[in-house]
Amino acid sequence: MSGVMALEDGARVDFTRLRRDRRRRLLAAMERAGLDALVLGRSANVRYAAGARLLWRAGANPFGPVCVVVRSTGKVHLLSSWDDGIPPEIGHEDLYGLFWNPAHLIAAIAAIAGLSDSRRVGTDSITPFFTGVLTQIVPGVELADAAGLLNEVRAHKTADELACVQTALSLAEAALAALDDALEPGISERTLLGVFVEAVARLGAPTPPSESVVFATPRQGPVRFRYLASDRLINKGELVVLSPGALYAGYEAGLARTRTAGATPSPAAMALGDRCRRAIDALITACRPGNTGGDLYRAWQATGEPPAEIALAWGLGLGAESPMVGFGRGSDAVLEEGATLSVQAWVSQEGTGGFLERELVQVGANGPEILSRSER
Amino acid sequence: MVDDWAAGATIGGVAIPGLPDMARMRADRYAKLQGQLEAQGVDGLVLLGSADVAYATGADAPGEDSGRAGLFRAVAVVVRGESAPHLYTAFWDGVPDEFPADHLHGPLFPDLDDGIEHFVHALNGHFSSGATLGVDDQTYPMLRTLGHFTWTDATAVLGAAKILKTVDEVSAIREAQRITEQAMDTVREVLRPGLRQTDLSGIFLRRIFELGATANAIDPIWQVMTPTKAEGPWTVHGDLAYPTSTTDRILREGDIIWVDAGICHQGYASDFGRTWITTAHPSPTDRQTSQFQRWQAVVDAARDILKPGVSALELGRAAIAMNDGVKPWMEHFYLAHGIGTDSAEMPLIGTDLGEGFDGSLIMGPGMVLVFEPVIWEEGYAGYRSEDIVAVTDTGWVQLSGLRYDPFEVAA
Repeated sequence: MSGVMALEDGARVDFTRLRRDRRRRLLAAMERAGLDALVLGRSANVRYAAGARLLWRAGANPFGPVCVVVRSTGKVHLLSSWDDGIPPEIGHEDLYGLFWNPAHLIAAIAAIAGLSDSRRVGTDSITPFFTGVLTQIVPGVELADAAGLLNEVRAHKTADELACVQTALSLAEAALAALDDALEPGISERTLLGVFVEAVARLGAPTPPSESVVFATPRQGPVRFRYLASDRLINKGELVVLSPGALYAGYEAGLARTRTAGATPSPAAMALGDRCRRAIDALITACRPGNTGGDLYRAWQATGEPPAEIALAWGLGLGAESPMVGFGRGSDAVLEEGATLSVQAWVSQEGTGGFLERELVQVGANGPEILSRSER
Repeated sequence: MVDDWAAGATIGGVAIPGLPDMARMRADRYAKLQGQLEAQGVDGLVLLGSADVAYATGADAPGEDSGRAGLFRAVAVVVRGESAPHLYTAFWDGVPDEFPADHLHGPLFPDLDDGIEHFVHALNGHFSSGATLGVDDQTYPMLRTLGHFTWTDATAVLGAAKILKTVDEVSAIREAQRITEQAMDTVREVLRPGLRQTDLSGIFLRRIFELGATANAIDPIWQVMTPTKAEGPWTVHGDLAYPTSTTDRILREGDIIWVDAGICHQGYASDFGRTWITTAHPSPTDRQTSQFQRWQAVVDAARDILKPGVSALELGRAAIAMNDGVKPWMEHFYLAHGIGTDSAEMPLIGTDLGEGFDGSLIMGPGMVLVFEPVIWEEGYAGYRSEDIVAVTDTGWVQLSGLRYDPFEVAA
């Protein structure tokens, strides 16, 4: 049941249960891995551990100690100077403030109960400075890789998490409908990007997973996949890639379709579309439990398409997740039952343009299930 | 016709152009990085953070959520003594025109163990074993395979290069700000009771892209301020909670909202802060007007003495004196912060770094300051806006617009 508003009988998704399940799994994974504490900096990992609505900033930011999880106390501590957006299980005493003076930050983290008694502390990345800080706060500390552990727990999703992905998908599909309505010859890529971002914002989700959502493909000269929207005006008959995504409570979904601007597709465009669909169908068919990224590469190769210019698939959950299959990586990654994958195929033909399709696929026990629904 | 807004103001004797010369800017920035590598005895930089990669290479990337941006991140490598940086990226369409083709490479995926040997191979090609390298983020695949280099924080090199902006950087910040302000004009004109905070975000974000922005940088903030601190969120320090994140909250007649938003344009951040009143025909009360006037007096007090050689401590004291001895900024923030490829960077004035730090932080030509004092009257909320200036050879130039609607600047 998709929707972003709370109902009198609940909030559609049981967020209390969602957070409790995530925390339980995280603490269990820490125990299995022999980690006494986690110090997390990556936003999605922080979100997994804390379930807080923190201020969203674009881009990849270097490591900082935003969230601390202590196994002996079972507590999650968070860098936040206030309790707005903080779930009730994280008490006021579990919050530490924003500091600019490293000495103050170090003191605040050192005061976290149980941290200094830890022996093995996992982080999701680190810097030379914070390696020094943790060595100072936790005498004899052994720093360990927690990114792998977080990847592992995040890959297995509860029904509540999947419900969030489905809600995000309904937002992305709504944005595609808005883009379809707005697409016409003479409109610019930028204007369409504006239509997209307003559509998801009006639905309550103004921070998209990516602003790389619109590009027209040329009918003359080489065709390459493009990432940045330009001032370019879209010409009648051009193939235009529309690839909206959305985030709901941090969970991501997205899809892509390619449309012909203001005209029925030419026979060449139809043929290119067929090529694209054969390719993505081959990839999706390979999304079976126990298969590997290598099976996706082989499925792609068997279509006769040239080596892919972009990734074939990556995991979706709290944003982009493992496995990432593309750019030569991910051959050995196993596709596990229940995994949600963004699967895509991009094909191009000089003189015609380019064609992208992207689907949200769940690796089901009996085979792949396509979750995205928009008209092809 | 390019607007000569800087009116001949100079930094290091060079006139600030109406619009930035991006190629010159990238060359100047890179020269500064090389100078710092030389001065600090660092052999190179390995940069993973979006803003740092943008600074070192001038390359654009699409605005993305941190997870996507991290997995598909671009990596910049700066080798001391080389004439251009190396860039490892999939985002080929964001690479500057003059970027040498043999310095542009495919993406490296430093977050993955699979394929990390390509990263090792790349760095081994750039540096000899044992080289001292500045880094802004280390993934565990990197830590497992790159132990044959000596790693140090890139902050020292980057910070020293970034704190003094070139004339083109100043102009680029002003351009990012101009786009942000135009988009905010649209939002303010349609602000009415009954709109949601997220509706305002939608209108704003649509406009920035129509106006040419490269990317959005933060989830825009439209926080409704309560009359007292106690009615607002609990805080660790007892001071105001701000900025809190945007929701689908429906805005009501008379709501005082503190707006804060920033975009990324050609690599540079903007920072827009204003106080708005939610109503169809806003007419500030006398008390609200007096809060605004006090805010303006505080900014003026700092700006009046701002020129090269003045310390951050002196600026802070001037602002406090104008506010009758009460520190006019929030406990967790500052009177002013710098801005560049990051939305808040050095120089920081009035933070918990303390008076000793502020006393040693001396204003120099090319520093950019975002003044964001807060005037608070417990029981009656308060006023906050942001004013951006750049320090020039003789004083400062204004980078942000001087309209504060619905408040009017006294003649």
